[in-house]
Amino acid sequence: MAAGKASGEILLVRNANKRFGGVQALKDAKLTLRDGEIHALLGENGAGKSTLVKVLAGVHRLDSGTVELNGKPFIQGSPRAAMEQGITVIYQEPSLFPDLSLAENVFISRLPRKGVAITWAQTRDETKKLFDELGVDLNPERLARGLSIADQQVVEIAKALSLDASVILMDEPTAALTSSEVARLMSVMRKLAERGKCVVFVSHRLDEVFAVCSEVTVMRDGETVAESPIDKTSISEVIKWMVGRELKEMFPKVDAKVGATALEVKSLNSASEFKDVSLHVKKGEIVALAGLVGSGRSEVARAIFGVDPYDSGEVILNGQKLPPKRPKTSVARGLALVPEDRRQQGLFMISSVARNVAMEMLNRLSKLGFITNKQEINLTQKWQEKLQIKYSDPRAPVESLSGGNQQKSVLAKWLATDPDVLIVDEPTRGIDVATKAEVHRLLSQSAADGKAVLMISSELPEVLGMADRIYVMHEGRLTAEMARNEATQEKIMFAATGEKVAVAGKKR
Amino acid sequence: MSGPTVPAPTTTTAGRARKLINGRIASLFLILALAIGITAAVNPRFLGGSGLTDLLIGSAVIGILAVGLTPVVIARHIDLSIASTTGLSAYVTLSIVVPNGWGLWQSFAIGAGIGLLVGTVNGLLVAGLNIPSLVVTLGTLSIVRGILYFYSDAGRFTPDVIPPSLIAMGLDTILDIPIIFWITLGFALFAAWWMRYTPVGRDLYAIGSNPPAAQLVGINIFQRTLLAFMWSGLMAGIAGVLYIGQFAFVDASAFINQELAVVTAVVVGGVNIFGGSGTIIGALLGALLIRVIAGGLVAVGVDPFWQQAVNGVLLITAIGLDRILALRSQAKIQRIREDRVEEQSWRE
Repeated sequence: MAAGKASGEILLVRNANKRFGGVQALKDAKLTLRDGEIHALLGENGAGKSTLVKVLAGVHRLDSGTVELNGKPFIQGSPRAAMEQGITVIYQEPSLFPDLSLAENVFISRLPRKGVAITWAQTRDETKKLFDELGVDLNPERLARGLSIADQQVVEIAKALSLDASVILMDEPTAALTSSEVARLMSVMRKLAERGKCVVFVSHRLDEVFAVCSEVTVMRDGETVAESPIDKTSISEVIKWMVGRELKEMFPKVDAKVGATALEVKSLNSASEFKDVSLHVKKGEIVALAGLVGSGRSEVARAIFGVDPYDSGEVILNGQKLPPKRPKTSVARGLALVPEDRRQQGLFMISSVARNVAMEMLNRLSKLGFITNKQEINLTQKWQEKLQIKYSDPRAPVESLSGGNQQKSVLAKWLATDPDVLIVDEPTRGIDVATKAEVHRLLSQSAADGKAVLMISSELPEVLGMADRIYVMHEGRLTAEMARNEATQEKIMFAATGEKVAVAGKKR
Repeated sequence: MSGPTVPAPTTTTAGRARKLINGRIASLFLILALAIGITAAVNPRFLGGSGLTDLLIGSAVIGILAVGLTPVVIARHIDLSIASTTGLSAYVTLSIVVPNGWGLWQSFAIGAGIGLLVGTVNGLLVAGLNIPSLVVTLGTLSIVRGILYFYSDAGRFTPDVIPPSLIAMGLDTILDIPIIFWITLGFALFAAWWMRYTPVGRDLYAIGSNPPAAQLVGINIFQRTLLAFMWSGLMAGIAGVLYIGQFAFVDASAFINQELAVVTAVVVGGVNIFGGSGTIIGALLGALLIRVIAGGLVAVGVDPFWQQAVNGVLLITAIGLDRILALRSQAKIQRIREDRVEEQSWRE
């Protein structure tokens, strides 16, 4: 399909293992790259592809396993060394030097010199030549400030060429590009392959993968589950490889009585983040908002809650319109948001567990404007029992707790406000399996208590196991809505990757 | 639309960015000419006689300090210790040169050594221990001045004891330009060259522009930052010797509290206070401009006590203007992007 003179093997990863804390990110993973090919590296969020890319970028070091580059062992653990050995990574959002010219960005820290003096004319001409080879029209002398992301990536690719890289890894490069920019990037990728480079394309957009790649490697749960030439497989087979695992009994779903609509969102728009999002959640219901990372789910949640503004649309809570940009009002009316990043947004890490749990309750607990430690601790102990939070002392800083118990503390903080609608963003990210099941039990219990739960999750088993109803988002738009009994991993994945055709259960 | 060419907006914004930089130097010249012109029109004596020479003599010390400070600010740091170092250099140099009966060259060697020493201490603390430069140099500002007060023991050097060669340096001219200004100009041209044409200079721009990226491309941030502070210290040391020539009077309060005037000169001269951009020549012009305005105010009869306030207004105006320009060009880029996206989705 793609042009290129694929010949010899250039990079071999074998039996790669990497563990982060309790998570086995890579499990005997393997990858085989040949020169002149465009190789897709696919997998769900958390399948291990990012870890593998980072190992090759020199950011991480394998616990065990081998990486062989051009027949020699690859020296791991240094980004600069990786670059010098011929591996370059183009990130989704490159970080250029905004105050320097494009030419200088390309040749930074190895500008051509005559004696001690840098030869700017040569720098400019060589950069121009690289841009020409890539078929892009950029002025080497302009500053990088204000450059579009697509053009920034081109500058990074030119840099890779100037370094004579043999492997160029692109980590979801198209996520932030418009369609004509994607087309240009694809033509650049083909040009690189024609020159004998190996291009690795990490993407969730399967249509793009099938348009440009010649080989595909699929990862799941840290393992390499499939390797195939692209013309020997199909989109649906690839999706099956990506999701193909059994649902474990991790989802203690309690049947709850579904009541009136608690939260309704009517065609919510935000210029750059999401478009025309309409959804509703009823009392006693757990509704999942599925989709890939970056599809705009968290942004929708933040807009509903009132942290971020939105351009048009309505949020209705218990039949009353909720004013935009008023998180305080949202809380007072019975809305709670447990954010995705608990360290940055959910907790005050150096404050005590008790202070954190009581944070949203200060007004209700205080007497004459004062609050005592004892009140905070009493409240915390009450929720500790309900949620089984494990800590040595309620006065201990919350950062001393494990990730799972931190997450439970955030949940406790919001459940303490007795909300009618609970929005949870990636509630089980980065916590161990046992705690995961407990968090699931808590959410299920909350729904059974008559609360409406909107759960954002990137984990398909969690979505399928917990949700009564599922919305799927893709690039800022809702692409599917399905009931629990009609949802499958494949359907969700199709909708989440924008493969509209195959979404059989799609309503609207 | 598979066009590998995405043309228009990029090139025009490029031209605009370039023009903005060149425009900065040009507009500085313009403002400078304007300020001189207006003052001379109100008070013809401002330019008459030795007026212009006096202006250049008065700009030499602050000018060389601006030349020293610019690379530090470009690397996203600040050096507030320079005025104290200038004072220390002036006093200590004389305290060694005078009893030994030495002259010009020994003075420069000693002054340079003192400046390098302070600069190295600053640089090691900032780059080695990662203490914010604002904190480090605010500390050394006081420490250096404190040492000077202790060392001088309320002493002073008056014109009758100062070596004649130093006094002559402050009075004489070559081609109608004062010698001390020639010295400042020489260092400025050298610094302008190495900031533009050597890896050290370019790395300082890179560090100030995007520090994490600088680390990622393997720039030796420690060494480059240290060099910037050593340069700033060296210039402050030389400035101390020029100070002797200019004033022919030195005591422990020499050049006290003048660091902010230098910062103002640098910022007015177009060096971004948040690092990454600016030029040596711009900073030198900035120094000239604030001297012209200071002298001009006196010439038109404004109380000299207003000078500090005027410096403050200049500083805020310069930074405020940069901010507004940056916001406007950002809004423009955003608009161009949105237009392109809209065009896109329309096509789909």
